Amino acid sequence: MPELRKDPIIGRWVIISVERAKRPSDFKVSHPEDEECPCPFCEGHEKDTLPEVFAIRKADSKKDGRGWDIRVVPSISQRFDLDGGLERRGIGMYDVMNPIAAHDIIIESPKHFTDIYQLSGEQIELIINTSVRRIVELEKDPRLKYCLLFKNHGLRAGGSKVTRHVRSQIIATPVTPTRVKEELRGARFYYQYKERCIFCDIIRQELDTGDRIVMETDTILAVAPFASRFPFEIWIVPKKHCSDFINIEMREIKDLATVLKTITYKLYQLLDDPPYNYMLHTAPFRHAKRPGYWRSITEDYHWHIEVTPRITQVAGFEWGSGFYINPTPPEDAAKYLREAKAL
Amino acid sequence: MSQLRRDPVTGRWIIVDITDPKRPEEFELKSQVKKGGVCPFCSGNEKMTPPEIEAVREPNSQPNTPGWSVRVVSNKFPALKIEGDLDKRGIGVYDMTNGVGAHEVIIETTDHYRDMADLTQNEIKNVIFKYRSRSLDLEKDKRFKYILIFKNHGSSAGASLEHTHTQLVALPIVPKRVKEELKGASTYFGYRERCVFCDMIAQELEDKLRMISENKRFVAFCPFVPRFAFETWIVPKRHSQNFKSIDDMDIDYLAQILKDTLVRLKVVLKDPPYNFIIHTAPIRDGLNEEFHWHLEIMPKLTNVAGFEWGSGFYINPTSPEFTAKYLREVQV
Repeated sequence: MPELRKDPIIGRWVIISVERAKRPSDFKVSHPEDEECPCPFCEGHEKDTLPEVFAIRKADSKKDGRGWDIRVVPSISQRFDLDGGLERRGIGMYDVMNPIAAHDIIIESPKHFTDIYQLSGEQIELIINTSVRRIVELEKDPRLKYCLLFKNHGLRAGGSKVTRHVRSQIIATPVTPTRVKEELRGARFYYQYKERCIFCDIIRQELDTGDRIVMETDTILAVAPFASRFPFEIWIVPKKHCSDFINIEMREIKDLATVLKTITYKLYQLLDDPPYNYMLHTAPFRHAKRPGYWRSITEDYHWHIEVTPRITQVAGFEWGSGFYINPTPPEDAAKYLREAKAL
Repeated sequence: MSQLRRDPVTGRWIIVDITDPKRPEEFELKSQVKKGGVCPFCSGNEKMTPPEIEAVREPNSQPNTPGWSVRVVSNKFPALKIEGDLDKRGIGVYDMTNGVGAHEVIIETTDHYRDMADLTQNEIKNVIFKYRSRSLDLEKDKRFKYILIFKNHGSSAGASLEHTHTQLVALPIVPKRVKEELKGASTYFGYRERCVFCDMIAQELEDKLRMISENKRFVAFCPFVPRFAFETWIVPKRHSQNFKSIDDMDIDYLAQILKDTLVRLKVVLKDPPYNFIIHTAPIRDGLNEEFHWHLEIMPKLTNVAGFEWGSGFYINPTSPEFTAKYLREVQV
């Protein structure tokens, strides 16, 4: 009998196939990536990107020249604009506004690596530090309300055809996106009811049961969530309660780097370099516009990173219902991941 | 330059490109090539599927033998199973239940090489009749709360068999996406005392910018807030919350406009992978009068990336005004 499981935060149901559970080898991962073009993100090609907005550089190097470890540049897609006002307005029954938003590309290495696990732990720590710096910087803009840090690895995860060069992206938007809002609301609702953080409760229960744990360090836990939407979905959560990613501590950064490196390597091993996304869910920017609006957020919300391999197709059923069918129970996925060879 | 637009029903924001929208030929269009081979949905292979539940058949032909034109069978690999009672329970912070439900397949034609767009209006009409009769039959089961009818065309839209078919799933819970729409429609109604979809139809018919076609009972247009490039909605002009209540005349007109729309998409986008989904109110729906059923067609031309997954905020590389023009003006 399949099981229906409910996500305790936002109430989304997922169908988990228990009987004909799929193993890692049942998924066929294709690699349609073409020959790569000259890569604009490699060291020496700094002129092929827009001017950098931030970089970690060697002492004597120059802006937009060689000699960097991490570089942040605006996306060339130019869908957004940081000039002007939002001009919220109505067109008949519809609402529109100007695309005031920022879109950063964080180039995670000057060398042409293609996945996180290939980088050193220290380099990943620099990446995390850079992400924090950028988010803090973007929060200063009063027009922006939310900042999403994410990664698209592989074409089917929305990666680019031009290059596989390892990088993540940040988009800061003038509205809090729906998916984030429902999570914030779900967490607040639980807090009002129980006066506890739902993520902290989840962490306690997962540490207690153990069968969905992928890995843990002193400060960070990685689990296959109870109501996983996708096979081999993984959530990375700090054990200590903290609503906002920008308050991450030194020890957590070190551990998070280890966890990211280990998990991306295990996915690579287990699923033959699958396309994947990961995204950071953190508290929204809290400019004091609507007093009291996020009053309990520091207690009720808990930042985390969702890692989702893209090895199944999302079809009409999922789009129509927001209800997912997952052929690999998270308990199985966690076991495979625990047992996969580490670096 | 792009524009941020807010969906009047769900409140979701999206981004459309209004100054340099992508043209159809700029997408990587991959026509659906059929491989053929042994297919359980072809005539003569009736024994390869679970026994048929309903069919449109020639007089004197026997169930589970050739002689049919539309056939409804249970899904051989169902996501949910029909036997058993719902067993809701909690495990600590988590809630779960066993997977009770129905999962049926409506095989739209015996011909392996024709897609829904290639069927005649009359053939499509017979398929829609089955959507209705299966909905009416399954809603009698008290365990079910929602019936979802959807189609996956092409492997990148999730179709596992290439022979054209529609799927129907009866669920023991009302899915989240549906709840959001119901809630949005109800909020709008509470504020304006009008149906949000009726208002939308009125504005689309007046603006004309996003219209594709209309007939006596339905309109087809590209919605103002599309998540996907070339997303198209078909909405009944008469306010009605539930798909199952369509009459025979509606079915006639729906078959006409659905065929017309699928042909337009096929010509403009060279047979793209797509999903279509019928959005309707839950089964026992006395309280959902603010809702208005409709059909959403979503071509799958781009990959959904981390930003969309993480935020529910969609970036659309084209605009509905632009895509509607292509679909409206194409010669079919």
